[in-house]
Amino acid sequence: MTQQALRFKPARAGSDWGVRAAAFTYLTVMLILPLAIIVQDGLRGGIGSIVQVLAQPVAWNALLLSLWTAAVMAAINAVMGTLTAFVLVRYQFPGKALLNALVDLPFAIPTLVTGVMLVVLYGPQRALGAWLNQNLGIKIIFAPPGIILALLFITFPFVTRAVQPVLAALDRDQEEAAATMGASRLMILRRVVLPALAMPLATGALLSFARAIGEFGAIVIVAGNIPLRTQTAAVFVYGEIESANQRAATAMSVVMLLIAFSLVVLVDYLQRGRNDA
Amino acid sequence: MSIVLEQLNKRYERHPVVQNVSLELTDGEFFVLLGPSGSGKSTILRMIAGLASIDQGRVLLHGRDVTGLPPQARGVGFVFQNYALFRHMSVAENVEFGLTIRKVGKAERRRRRDELLELVGLGGLGARMPRQLSGGQQQRVALARALAYQPEVLLLDEPFGALDAQIRIELRRNLRRIQREIGTTTIFVTHDQEEAFELADRIGVMNAGRLLEVGPPEELYQHPQTEFVATFLGTANLLLGRTTDDGVQVGPLHFPLSTAARPGNGDRRVQVLFRPEDIALANSLDDLPGPALGQAEVEQTTFVGSFERLRLRLPAIAGVRPIAPEVPYGVDALLVEASRSQDQARAFPLTAGAQVWLGVRRMHALAHPGLRMLLLTDGGAATRPALELGAQIARMAHARTTILGWGEAQTLQPHLQRLREEFGPGLPALDAHTADDDLSVALAAEIERQPYDLAVISTQPPHNDDLAMQLLREGEQHLLLVPRAQPLPERVLICVATGEPGKDDVQFAARLLRHLGASATVLSVLASTASQLDRERTERFVEAGVRSLTLLGVPAESRLRSGPVRQEIVAEMAAGGYGMLVLGTPPMGRDGRAALAGVVGEILTAITEQAVLLVRSQSVAQRRWHVTSRQAVNLEELTR
Repeated sequence: MTQQALRFKPARAGSDWGVRAAAFTYLTVMLILPLAIIVQDGLRGGIGSIVQVLAQPVAWNALLLSLWTAAVMAAINAVMGTLTAFVLVRYQFPGKALLNALVDLPFAIPTLVTGVMLVVLYGPQRALGAWLNQNLGIKIIFAPPGIILALLFITFPFVTRAVQPVLAALDRDQEEAAATMGASRLMILRRVVLPALAMPLATGALLSFARAIGEFGAIVIVAGNIPLRTQTAAVFVYGEIESANQRAATAMSVVMLLIAFSLVVLVDYLQRGRNDA
Repeated sequence: MSIVLEQLNKRYERHPVVQNVSLELTDGEFFVLLGPSGSGKSTILRMIAGLASIDQGRVLLHGRDVTGLPPQARGVGFVFQNYALFRHMSVAENVEFGLTIRKVGKAERRRRRDELLELVGLGGLGARMPRQLSGGQQQRVALARALAYQPEVLLLDEPFGALDAQIRIELRRNLRRIQREIGTTTIFVTHDQEEAFELADRIGVMNAGRLLEVGPPEELYQHPQTEFVATFLGTANLLLGRTTDDGVQVGPLHFPLSTAARPGNGDRRVQVLFRPEDIALANSLDDLPGPALGQAEVEQTTFVGSFERLRLRLPAIAGVRPIAPEVPYGVDALLVEASRSQDQARAFPLTAGAQVWLGVRRMHALAHPGLRMLLLTDGGAATRPALELGAQIARMAHARTTILGWGEAQTLQPHLQRLREEFGPGLPALDAHTADDDLSVALAAEIERQPYDLAVISTQPPHNDDLAMQLLREGEQHLLLVPRAQPLPERVLICVATGEPGKDDVQFAARLLRHLGASATVLSVLASTASQLDRERTERFVEAGVRSLTLLGVPAESRLRSGPVRQEIVAEMAAGGYGMLVLGTPPMGRDGRAALAGVVGEILTAITEQAVLLVRSQSVAQRRWHVTSRQAVNLEELTR
């Protein structure tokens, strides 16, 4: 045992440097460098130039639209994703394995395709879309509901996959203990199950929110690019690049980066807390 | 009565996990349910708490029938093996949970919580989170939490199973003290007999879903009634003997019993128990205080702290069969476990290889001899259903089992090996060997070697009908005929005719069904010409049978039919959804074949779906059947 450790140590120390250097270089070239460039580019004109860009109604509205649609989506996702995870963990039914695999599908489907699917389903010329429009007056395509639907589809796995393992590991004894102490089913859910799921739920919802802020492909198909109405922040960046207005594009990019970065840090913090528990 | 359980039953996927468990606990009692894992003890606890559904039976807590109530409405305190603390709540919040649910005011909640944390020795730790506590501390929090709302009863499911031995001992003492202090009726589930002995006012021993015996620890240890309890509690030396008027005959040796044999037992097979500390060792026969078993060789001595444990080897005694400790395969000797105090060991030192005279200070005869079963196989697929059903019954009945194979030795050996692996786990003992000689000779030798209670054979062709005849003619075993694969019977039809043999039928059926968790219908068929007097007499007889069955824990009902015997029995079998038929064996002719003649033969011809148990009566000569046909019937014809 001791001999083996002694024999192994020098070799490990040597290769350790190589591995670390390789990983560090890769991280720098692939991640840090582009991030640094865009931040540097965006801040070239100072904070003032960013404020100036955001002060334009088109840009400000695009950012607001991105934020509120993502927030609505995250809220729906938190509830329905948890419900899905609950069904997948707690119930046995035929086709469960298939359904479980389907949950991950949105990760693999190009988001453009997602947009196309939604247009085909809800488009004004389609039966469902026309019916909704005529009878309920709900317009989906080229409207914020379309954006939310697209985001829901794309981010479907986040909450479910975050909650599922925790729920599976949550031992039933805690719920049974609460029941013997007189807690009703609702009370057990509220006081025992949900608190245990709070962290993974928040993590999943925040990650899906972060992912949604940056979504472009599906939204551009479903909602189009109508400034002040259906143009989101990501689509705004694309439009500014198209019209060779790089300053506005990078300014908005920096803002989006900042939001994403703070969310990721928050998620990391939450997960740290959970691991300590 | 704080807790009353009435005939609790539960099955998982047709497999009985709790069978006819009835129990009454007095106020403030500390009751321990003891049994190996999978014996159904935790299930009973969960049924009381409402965490597991009840198929049949009732649970009463302080006179209130809670059978149909959800756990929330039962008011029990439950402690789980893995603590089940709410991990996101502090210790204080955990303890207060039950009070919060009951909307108890904040001040009162605090007072109760502090009082309980003090009681379990965790005063001042209320602000900690569960993860900051050791396992033992967490379990004490769980106990405080379960007691906080003053439950009607306290249920603990192997609460110390996950803890170190040292902490376990400490927690046991604490628990006993706390329980005495608060006086809540408690059921504690464990597989650890030491724990049971230390904690219990009374112990209930469970095996295979049945509550075998209930009593104070010492009573169960000294005077067990069943082989399982004798061997599960402590170390047992068990030999097979026969009762005599004033004691027990073990082979050629006669022992007066230290516990009075039940009167009127006469000559009966019994298991004789002596504990390691009941053994006396001496240099010479004259120095022995009690009757001698013989001169033994010391095989092993072990120092275990306050006493010395010895394993002794006695030369085989003709006619004495050991049950425990198990004698290794091929060893022609009896093994005896003995123990003595260090004082005794110092006064009379013994080492391995020494010769010593072995006597018995005290002996106890078990009331119920264990069942012994004989399964037969020719290695073919046709005998498979009989083997499966036989093995299932053996498992449920905790029966020592022998599988006797006959046929081609080459294929038979691996077949028997497979059966050993398949059926061996879960059986108290399984012996499988081949008939070296002619089958009938080997069978005769086997039955001669040791008496069996039940033989199981297939009636699927190809089969050996001489085998059935021989099994009914020789030995003393009853015979179960299995026509095809079937699950364990849940309902059994017992057909009786008035008279002594009919009583035997019911008695053996009860002994067997008790293990299977099956319910029974006692049927008697009257001739259509029967007088009113006959009818009343038969009614009384059948009712008495129902009482006997119920007494042994077999739910039973009675039925009378009148008409031709065969027709009525077959009709009842078809109508009642029975899984097994119990018949008495008719009187035997000189050629032995007549055993299956007459009504029994006719019934066997008609029943081709369910197993048929043929019970042999000790008083078979008096058996009266409404015999309508007297010609001999060949078994092979019967089962087509």
